[in-house]
Amino acid sequence: MSFLELSGVAKNYGPVAALAGVDLQVESGSRTAIVGPSGCGKTTLLRLIAGFEAPDRGRIVLDGKVLANGGAAVPAHRRGIGVVAQDGALFPHLSIADNIGFGIARNADRRAEHIVELAYIVGLDKAILKRRPHELSGGQQQRVALARAMAMKPRLMLLDEPFSALDTGLRASMRKAVAELLEEAGITTILVTHDQAEALSFASQVAVMRDGLFSQVGTPRELYFQPRDRMVAEFLGDAIIVPARIADGFAESRLGRIAVDTQERRDVARIMLRPEQIVLKWTSREGMSGTPDMLFGEVTDCEFAGSICTVAVRLLNSPDPPDAAAIGNTPLILRRTGMDAPAVGEIVRLTVTGKAHVFA
Amino acid sequence: MKIALSTLAGAALALGLIAGSAMAEDQGIVVYNAQHESLAKEWAKGFTKETGIKVTLRNGGDSDFSNQIVAEGAASPADVFLTENSPAMALVEAAGLFAPVDADTLAQVPQEYQPSTGKWVGVAARSTVFVYNKSKLKENRLPKSLLDLADPSWKGRWAASPAGADFQAIVSAMLELKGEPATADWLKAMKANSTAYKGNNTVMKAVNAGEIDGGVIFHYYYLGDQAKTGENSRNIGQYYFKNQDPGAFVSISGGGVLASSKHPKEAQAFLKWVTGKGGQDVLKTGTSYEYAVGKGAESNPKLVPLADLQAPKVDPAKLNSKKVIDLMTQAGLL
Amino acid sequence: MQSAIDMAPARLPAAGMKKRRSTSWITLVAALISLIALLPLAFIVWVAIQTGWDTVVALIFRPRVGELLINTVLLVIVTVPIAITLSVALAWLTERSDLPGNRLWSWLSVAPLAIPAFVHSYAWISFVPGLHGLWAGVLVSVIAYFPFLYLPIAAALRRLDPALEDAAAALGLGPWRVFARVVLPQLRLAICGGSLLVGLHLLAEYGLYVFIRFDTFTTAIVDQFQSTFNGPAANMLAAVLVACCLFLLALEVIVRGEERYARVGSGAARKQQRARLGRATLPCLLLPAGVALLSLGVPFVTVSRWLLAGGADVWRWDEIGLALGQTLFLAIAGAVLATIAAMPMAWISIRAPGRLQRLLESCNYIVGALPGVVIALALVTITVRVALPLYQTLFTILFGYALMFLPRALVSLRASIAQAPVELERAASSLGRPPVKALWSTTIRLSAPGAAAGMAMVALGITNELTATQMLAPNGTRTLAMAFWSYSGEIDYASAAPYALIMVVMSLPMTWWLYVQSKRMAGR
Repeated sequence: MSFLELSGVAKNYGPVAALAGVDLQVESGSRTAIVGPSGCGKTTLLRLIAGFEAPDRGRIVLDGKVLANGGAAVPAHRRGIGVVAQDGALFPHLSIADNIGFGIARNADRRAEHIVELAYIVGLDKAILKRRPHELSGGQQQRVALARAMAMKPRLMLLDEPFSALDTGLRASMRKAVAELLEEAGITTILVTHDQAEALSFASQVAVMRDGLFSQVGTPRELYFQPRDRMVAEFLGDAIIVPARIADGFAESRLGRIAVDTQERRDVARIMLRPEQIVLKWTSREGMSGTPDMLFGEVTDCEFAGSICTVAVRLLNSPDPPDAAAIGNTPLILRRTGMDAPAVGEIVRLTVTGKAHVFA
Repeated sequence: MKIALSTLAGAALALGLIAGSAMAEDQGIVVYNAQHESLAKEWAKGFTKETGIKVTLRNGGDSDFSNQIVAEGAASPADVFLTENSPAMALVEAAGLFAPVDADTLAQVPQEYQPSTGKWVGVAARSTVFVYNKSKLKENRLPKSLLDLADPSWKGRWAASPAGADFQAIVSAMLELKGEPATADWLKAMKANSTAYKGNNTVMKAVNAGEIDGGVIFHYYYLGDQAKTGENSRNIGQYYFKNQDPGAFVSISGGGVLASSKHPKEAQAFLKWVTGKGGQDVLKTGTSYEYAVGKGAESNPKLVPLADLQAPKVDPAKLNSKKVIDLMTQAGLL
Repeated sequence: MQSAIDMAPARLPAAGMKKRRSTSWITLVAALISLIALLPLAFIVWVAIQTGWDTVVALIFRPRVGELLINTVLLVIVTVPIAITLSVALAWLTERSDLPGNRLWSWLSVAPLAIPAFVHSYAWISFVPGLHGLWAGVLVSVIAYFPFLYLPIAAALRRLDPALEDAAAALGLGPWRVFARVVLPQLRLAICGGSLLVGLHLLAEYGLYVFIRFDTFTTAIVDQFQSTFNGPAANMLAAVLVACCLFLLALEVIVRGEERYARVGSGAARKQQRARLGRATLPCLLLPAGVALLSLGVPFVTVSRWLLAGGADVWRWDEIGLALGQTLFLAIAGAVLATIAAMPMAWISIRAPGRLQRLLESCNYIVGALPGVVIALALVTITVRVALPLYQTLFTILFGYALMFLPRALVSLRASIAQAPVELERAASSLGRPPVKALWSTTIRLSAPGAAAGMAMVALGITNELTATQMLAPNGTRTLAMAFWSYSGEIDYASAAPYALIMVVMSLPMTWWLYVQSKRMAGR
C-alpha cells in the first residue's frame, strides 16, 4: 500500500465540479508534482489533502490512516501535514523567529535553538530572525515558510506553487535547494504548479491535471516522451504531431519513415516528436539531388533570441502523407542554439533521432 | 437618482439659507429666559400681539444666565432677564447690571414680591413642596421639616435635583434663615442621604415610579403633568411643610431690564406687560401653574392659595447664590 | 479608497522653484489653522495659571472629582471590552460564517449609528423608567457606540488573507487557537482605532448619561456651567477631562505600536471560506437578532409609541420646520467651513509629507478628540472676555464646529487627494492647461466626491451635536437636538418624538454610506 492514497476524490463548488473523482498513489519519500493549467482543480486537490476542505466523495488515506472518507474528514490541525503556500502566508504580526516557531509548543525544550537550526537548514541568516515578514525578499519569505512547515516534522509536505512569485533565476535554484532539503529530511512531497518545467525537474512522479481529472500520471520521462494524448504532449512542451501509417515498428508520414515506440500497431494514427528530436544539417539545393530517401527543407523564418533561435522549416520533398489534405505543408517549428541561427532561404537536411510516440 | 439627490441637496440648502437669514435678521428685544419655555413663549406671543415688538428668547437656566450676564458685562446682548428664582436676580443686581424698573411696573406688584431696591420685580412665584409616593409613604411618616431630611433614617429615601437653580434657591433660603454652618452640615447630610436627579420633572417621575420615596421640588410639576397625560404623577402626593420652615420657602421669579439694553423702552414695556393683567392672566389660565403675583391677579384655582402656605419671610435681594454654589461644591453635590 | 489606504505617502521628486514656494505657503496656512485649533487647549492652561495653583488644587483634588473620575474610568473600562467582544462576535458571524441573512445583519449592526446617543438613552429610559447608574450607562453606551468598533473590525476581517489561517491550521492549531493567535492579532489595529473612537465618545457624551443619571466629567462640567457659567470649577473639570482624552490617545498609540499588518507577498488573496455553523446556526442568530432588538427595536418602539400617544398635535410644523432649517443651515455651513479649513492640511499630508506635517496633523486630531463641552467652554470664555464682537455669533458656533469636526473632514479629504496622483496634474499641465486650471480639472475634480463625503460626515456630527450647540448658539437658535432636549427635559416625551424621528431619518443616508464605504474599502 502506498504512503498516500487518493481514491475517487471529488469536490463540487455549487454546480462547478472542481474535482471529478481523482485517484493517486504517492510512495513514501517520493516527490510528486501535480501540474495543470489554472482552474484545473490542482489547488483544490491540495486543499483536500491538507484538510482545509472536506471532499464530497472519495477517500484520502495517509500511511494507513483514513483522513477523509466522503464528508467525514480529520481537520487540518490534526493531520500533521506541512503546507507552504504560494506567497508564504507568513504571519505579518510575528517576527521571523516566531513565524518559524509557530508550530512548536511555546514551552518546548530548546525551542530557540531549534528555530535557529531550522533557519540554518533552509539557508537563512540568523540575523534575519528578529525581523518582520515584510522586511524580507520573496525568496527569503519562502524559506521562512518552509522552515515553519518543517518545524513540526511533517510526514507529508504540500507545496502550493511556492516558487511562482520568485524571479526566474531564483526560482530554479530555490527549487533545487528545496528538493534536496526535503529529500534529505526524508519528507514525502507534493508540489502543485502550473509550470511544466518545474514539475518535470522537481518530481519523480508527475500528474497532469485537466478539468478536475488526471490526464496522465507517471515519471517525468514517460510523460514527456509518451504522453497519452495531444493535450498532455503540448502541455509539457512543444510537440510536432503528424498523421502517419504505422506498421512493423515504423511510421510512414510526411517526415518519412521513422521508428516508433510500438511494434504491435498496424494502423493509421498520429505520432508525436519533440522538436529536439529533429536534427538540422546545412546543405544546398545541389546537395538535395540524388538522395531520394533523405528529407530536406527550406528555412522560411528565423527568430533570434540570444541563446536559442526558433526556426520555421518548410519541407521540400516530403513523401505523400496518408491524409495530406488535413495537413497541407505547414512549416515545422524547431529550436536551435542561437549560434547556429540559419538565414531565411537556406536549405537544411532533417534527420530524426530516437523513436516517435504513437498516440492511442 | 443623481437628479433627485441634487434636488434634495438644493432644497436643503435653500431651507438652510432661509433659516440662516432668519437667524441674522432683527431680533427685536432679546430675552434671556430662564423661566419655563412654554410660559415665556406665551408671554412673548401676547406682548408681540399687543405691541408689535418682536421678542427673541434665548432659553437656559437661572444660574448659567446670571453668571453669563455678569461675564458679558456691559456688552450683554440681553435686554430683559427672566428667572424662575430670586438668587439669580440678586447676583446680576449685585454686579450693578440692572437698570431700575419703571415705577408704574413696580406699582403693579405688591412690596413682598419685589426687592427693596426696585432693581427688578417679581413676575411669578412658586412654592417648595415635598412630593412622595402615596403607596410607599404614609402621611404620618412624612418629614416635619426640610431639615429632618438630614436624619440618617432618610438615607437613600429622598431625591432632588441639586444642579438645578430651583433647588439651589431653596438652599439659599435655608442659608438666609439658618446660617452657613447649619446649611453646610445639612448639605453634607444631603450628599449622604439623597439621590441626585437631573431636573425636578425627573425627580417627580422617579418618585411616581416608586424608585424612591420622596423628593424636594416645586409645586407645579404635579399639576402640569396632570394636565398632560398624568402618566408621571399618578401615585404622587404633595406635602407642604408650612410653619415658616425653610421647606415652605416661596421663591419669587424675577424679571429685570439690563442697564446695557439697547432697547430700554421696549424692554421696560415688556416687563410692564408681564406684570400687568395680560401677563398675569397667562399664569391663571395657562398650564404653567405658577402663582400670579400682580396686584389683584388671581392664580389658577387648582392651586393651594399662596396665603395658606405659611412661607418664611426672606428678602429676595439677600439670597446669595454664589455662596450656595460654593457650599454645594464643597459638599460634593456639584 | 483602496488605493488611498495602500498607497504609501508619495515621495515626490523635488519639483521646480515655483512648486516649492506654493507648498511652503500652504504649509504656513496649515500651521496657522493648527495653531488656532490649539486655542481651547491653550485656554485651559491659561485659566489654570490665572486661577492660581491653590485654587486649582482645591478644585481638582476633591472627592467629587475622584467620584467623577471613578465613574468615568469605570464606564470606559467596562464598556470598551464589552463593545469589543460584541463587535468581534458580530463581525465574525456576519463576515466569516454562513449565518443566514448575513448582509442584513451586517447592515443592522451599523444602523444604530443613525440614532443619536441621547435618543438611544431617551428610548431606554421611557422603556425601563428606573434605568440608571453604571450598568445602565454601560448598556446604552455599548448599544449606541459598538458600530464604531464593528465597522473597522468587519472590514479588517474581510481583508484578512485566508491563507494565514490555513497555514496556522496546517501547523497544528485548532480553530479557536487559530482565532486567538492569528485572526485576533491582525484585528489589533481595527480594535485599537475603534476602541479609541468609542472611548472618546464615552468621555464626551452628555445627553446619554443625563437621561440615565450617571455622572461623568462631561455631565458635571455642564452642571457647573449651568450653575456658574464659565467659572473656574467647570474649567478645572474640563482640564481633568482633557487629561483623560490625552491619556486615551497616548494609550492607543502605545497599544497600536508601529505594526504593519498588510498582506505579505503578492498574488490575489483567495476568497475566504465561510465557516459552517450547522446546528449552531439558531443560537448564533440570537446574537445579531438580540443586538438589533436592543439597539434598533427599543428606539423604534419608543419613538413610535410616543408618536402614537402624541398624535397629530406633536407635529408643530412651524416649530419643526424652523428647527430643521436652522439645523440644516448650521450643518451645511459648518461642514463647508471644516472642509475648507482641512484642505491645506490634507494637501500637504499627501503632497509634502514630513515631520512638521505629522506634528500639525496630530494637533488637529488631538483637538478633534476633545469633547464639545470643553471646546464650547473655551470659546464662550474667550469670546466673552477678549473678543466680544464674536460672542454668541454664527461665526463662533461655526468655528467651534470646525474645530470639533475638522478631523472627520481631514480623513476623507486626505484619502481622496491621495486618489488623485500628482502625475495627472502634471499631465494636464503638459497638455497645455495653466496651473490653476490643471489643478481644477484633475486633483479638485477627482477629490470632490471624497470631500463631499467628508462634508456629509461633518454635517451629520453637527446635526446630532447638543452641548456645544447649547452653549455657543446665537440668540434665537433652536436646532433639532436642542428642541428634542428641551422637550424631553420637561418629560414631554411625546413632543420630543418627532425631533428624534427627523434626526434619525436625516442620519440614515450617511450611515448607509458609511456601511457601503466600509464594504468597498475591503474590496468587495
